[in-house]
Amino acid sequence: MSRAGRVAGLLGLSAVAGGIAALFGNHTAVELAVLSTLVVVGELLELRPVGRAPLPLSFAVVVVLVRAGTPREVVVCAICAQVFSLFVRDGAGRLRAHTVVAAERITETLAAGAAYRVVIQALSGENATATVLGALGAAAIAQILVADVLVLARDRTVAPLRSRGADLALVTSGILMAVGYAGVDGKGDLGLWGVFLFAIPLLAAWYSFELVASTRRSYEQTVRALSVAPELAGLVPKGHAERVADLGVALARELGLGTTEMDDVKTAALLHHLGAVCIDEPALDQRLDPAEVSAAGASMLSASEALAAAGEVIAAEPQLHRPPDSVAGSFPAALGGQILKVASAYDELTDGDDAHAAWAVEALFTGPAYVYDGRVLAALERVLVSQGRLTSTRVPRGA
Amino acid sequence: MENGKTASFTAVSLAFFILAASLAGFLGATGPTPDLRALLLLGVLVAVAENQCVLLPNQTSVSASFMLSMAAVVVFRDGANLLGPLIVGMFGGVLLEHVRGFDWRKVACNVGIFGLSTLAAAAAYSVVPNSITGSVPGQLLAAIPAGLTYSLVDYALLAPAASTMTGRSMKDLADELWLGDLQVYPFALLGVLLGYLYVALGAWVVPLFIAPIFIARQAFLSYMQLKAQQEATLRTLVRSLEAKDQYTAGHVERVAMFAEYVGEELKFSTRRLHRLRHAALMHDIGKLTVPNHLLNKPGKLTEDEFARVKHHEFVSVELLRRIDFLLPILPTVSLENQGLASPDSPIEPHIISVADAFDAMTSTRSYRRALAQEVAFAELRAKSGTQFHPDCVEALVAAVERRGERYGAGHERDAVAFAVPPPVVGVGSAGLGDLEPGVHADEAVEAHDAERSSR
Repeated sequence: MSRAGRVAGLLGLSAVAGGIAALFGNHTAVELAVLSTLVVVGELLELRPVGRAPLPLSFAVVVVLVRAGTPREVVVCAICAQVFSLFVRDGAGRLRAHTVVAAERITETLAAGAAYRVVIQALSGENATATVLGALGAAAIAQILVADVLVLARDRTVAPLRSRGADLALVTSGILMAVGYAGVDGKGDLGLWGVFLFAIPLLAAWYSFELVASTRRSYEQTVRALSVAPELAGLVPKGHAERVADLGVALARELGLGTTEMDDVKTAALLHHLGAVCIDEPALDQRLDPAEVSAAGASMLSASEALAAAGEVIAAEPQLHRPPDSVAGSFPAALGGQILKVASAYDELTDGDDAHAAWAVEALFTGPAYVYDGRVLAALERVLVSQGRLTSTRVPRGA
Repeated sequence: MENGKTASFTAVSLAFFILAASLAGFLGATGPTPDLRALLLLGVLVAVAENQCVLLPNQTSVSASFMLSMAAVVVFRDGANLLGPLIVGMFGGVLLEHVRGFDWRKVACNVGIFGLSTLAAAAAYSVVPNSITGSVPGQLLAAIPAGLTYSLVDYALLAPAASTMTGRSMKDLADELWLGDLQVYPFALLGVLLGYLYVALGAWVVPLFIAPIFIARQAFLSYMQLKAQQEATLRTLVRSLEAKDQYTAGHVERVAMFAEYVGEELKFSTRRLHRLRHAALMHDIGKLTVPNHLLNKPGKLTEDEFARVKHHEFVSVELLRRIDFLLPILPTVSLENQGLASPDSPIEPHIISVADAFDAMTSTRSYRRALAQEVAFAELRAKSGTQFHPDCVEALVAAVERRGERYGAGHERDAVAFAVPPPVVGVGSAGLGDLEPGVHADEAVEAHDAERSSR
């Protein structure tokens, strides 16, 4: 079933439960069931801002949940919701990966519940509004902090502050939904209406982020489609551009380049042979001149504002390596060019088969120092070893 | 603006402003004074929201000001139930763009319209009994007449104002304005609930409510910028790649333009037009796999060479299949096999096919000089229903004629300096089969030669 179908089904389920809650007097259990179902819906909808790990909308619902239930009820609801989520997530059959996510979410919910209780107790006797707001804010932020720690442990990355707009939307919406649900000090209690209606601004944010994500995806797919053209024309081995892009990104990450520079290296790698399709074919017994191909590709990309940086990387690829200090503005285009050169040469030497990895690395290292940047070669070894494509390094770590 | 229009617009603007200001003065003198903090907070937010509105590609705009105005209607219900919303609404008319340009008539006009619309909504809301507005379903119910009244007054005032300013008829403006108002109506419900929470809990709920809306706005702006950048990048790349074939300079962009003409004629949505443009810009991408010497070969191709060149259409579709958002409009089989009658097949490939053929016929190629526009139209119509989709053919003809544009011999945008002059009419016109030389062909030669000599 499509994601939209699953979301609609779950919302229908929660609406029926909400209706039951409205019909009968003491309805906490039914409302908790509705909130648990909404947690599952929130697991299917993620805010996916650029430069930040996705954030599920369930984070906002969990804030309502910790306000609505006792600690025991929160734990039961969280576990039930996450077990149910295992079966409705995208990519059915990836049970192991889904289980890891479910465990992470339960941990995050427990953190939210704990933060809420601690702040409520710490501020008891103070102004009721400040206490509730502080506790709900703590619950919302605790989830995000735990999620950040988990991402840091897994990917060794922390999202910068400028990518935290989605976090703000989740925190504020979560607080508002929880306040709308239960009110403060007996006032402003809208019940489940508050949860559903104050989720609308958050859903608007989600929709906008989805539009951005889908546009970025189609842009990347367009670039990838263009990258295949030289291969279909028989000018480049099949899969070369994709492999060079993957390796180039890994090298850029290893060398500590930022997200933007990594994107430029990736685009440059995908399109570094595009120039080949525009220049006249050489005589039968001759190869295309790599410098001419690079120049044609770079000039093509430099005409576009969005691709100009990638064009600079392609233009820098054939350049000789010089010590970084002696080259003005050697970073990032020159380093990007060196990364592209090493990744492309490695792929050409191995022809996409890592059985020749050790030989290829040896060959690259034995080349003159002015051809390949030693830092990039050392990074290549480390990346290949960490990816299990090479058994041992010939350069001591840290070189 | 002509003098007559200017005078009418000035009169209308002043009338609206004076009416709103007089009502404010009267209500201030006879009724309770609104809470200043609520007035300032909501008023400033309404002004900020209106100044930060997002312009959509279909020329409508979205802002949170309507929602905040509806919140004001609820916030002031138990006090200055009419004066408060009137003043908050008037803040919405202060657009910095107009203030900076000293365009006081527009400021007066907007202040009047926003104020009077919000006042009318407040009046409609105030007649709903407290017994109804005491519950959430009742609040939502009461939001309906209030929101409708706002839309009605907004429409009734904006239509004559816009008509005097632009010179367009009221009838023309009606659809756009109603559509714009209907799109924002669901936000009335949210605005009423925000007002309810404000009254119950205090002003601090407002920033919590505004924050996700602001984030949504920023993300939406990023999306629109990214989309524009993506299209610009694609156009630039395609232009560079076209250098490969000296006879098709500007071809792809013209095909995208003609395809868009047809899409507009067939009333495509903005999103569908964007997808059509993207596909049209990439429709010849497979040509990158064809050797240059074949593309630029003067005269006739051998059968093998022709097959190699023709294969690029298949490669194009295969490459486009890698782009998810184009999948719904790609042909599942080649157009020749698909036929024209299949109701399930997308019409977009047919649109691109007609646009492609029209541009090919009206441009000089290595194998043939450009044909006259009339010849191209006649050829499209002759093959309409067999090779070309009839709706697409008629839509293209209608769109080009309505714009009064001319293409083909004597009107080529990108003339080619060919080494070997192509024949006037020879091996065919973009796969349309041979065209017999005739009077149009002779005219085409003369026009083309005249154009070249004039450059």
